Amino acid sequence: MKRTEFFQLVQPLTEKLYSMAFALVPDDLQAEQLVIDSMNAFLLKEKKSVLIKMVDLESKKNVQLLRRTYYKSLLRYMCDIGVRRSNQMGEASLAVAVEEFQPFFALDAKVRFVMKLRFENQFTVEEIEEIAQLPKYEVIEKLHNGRFLLLNDLNSGVHP
Amino acid sequence: MMEQNLYTKKIIPYLDGSLSAPEKAEFEAYVHTHPEFESQIRTKEEELSLVRSMIPTPIIARDALDSLENELRESVLNLLREEPRNFWGRVKDGWEEWLSR
Repeated sequence: MKRTEFFQLVQPLTEKLYSMAFALVPDDLQAEQLVIDSMNAFLLKEKKSVLIKMVDLESKKNVQLLRRTYYKSLLRYMCDIGVRRSNQMGEASLAVAVEEFQPFFALDAKVRFVMKLRFENQFTVEEIEEIAQLPKYEVIEKLHNGRFLLLNDLNSGVHP
Repeated sequence: MMEQNLYTKKIIPYLDGSLSAPEKAEFEAYVHTHPEFESQIRTKEEELSLVRSMIPTPIIARDALDSLENELRESVLNLLREEPRNFWGRVKDGWEEWLSR
């Protein structure tokens, strides 16, 4: 695959990648930087496999499948880099970053990421296992905890 | 009653997609034969939509998006560059970069 073809494939993912990055580092500039760093990390590691990939970009189905595959790979790198970066930001700066969504940003970084993967991107638990590099029981536990803590915050008295 | 409790516990895993295929089929079969159970599923669905509303979906400004896309494009073109074998290789690379603008 040519590098320009690869860019055509990933360009439509930019907004979604930004949204995912923002869940980890709730700051416009830092989220943009995280998207760029994830892309760079991916390209440095996967350059060969991208360049030797033979694809028929005329087929819409192929394009969609390949785009989804690359989206998941990019998210895997983002999860790795972003979780560390989020932990460096510290709880206090996260909690004040986005007032409207404080309960969400009070959650652990990986829980936030897993919840975004499930509730915004509609990834299956198996796909989340692969992206977040977690065993299935941990994915389920994180989804459960995130849901419980958010609902608890609303004092709805509802138990998961 | 025991059976209903068992399936009640499976509502959330069913909705969040963590049930295995056979468990999912079994759950759907149970719901099909117990229509009254659907109200409980609806309640949990409402909870999940509440949870969804608590998750931010930030929208990036148009100019910020353009600038981010440009940076990604630069990264892709630079990091996926193959060492040009000769003069024509360099011309080809330059032409490809110009076309992708």
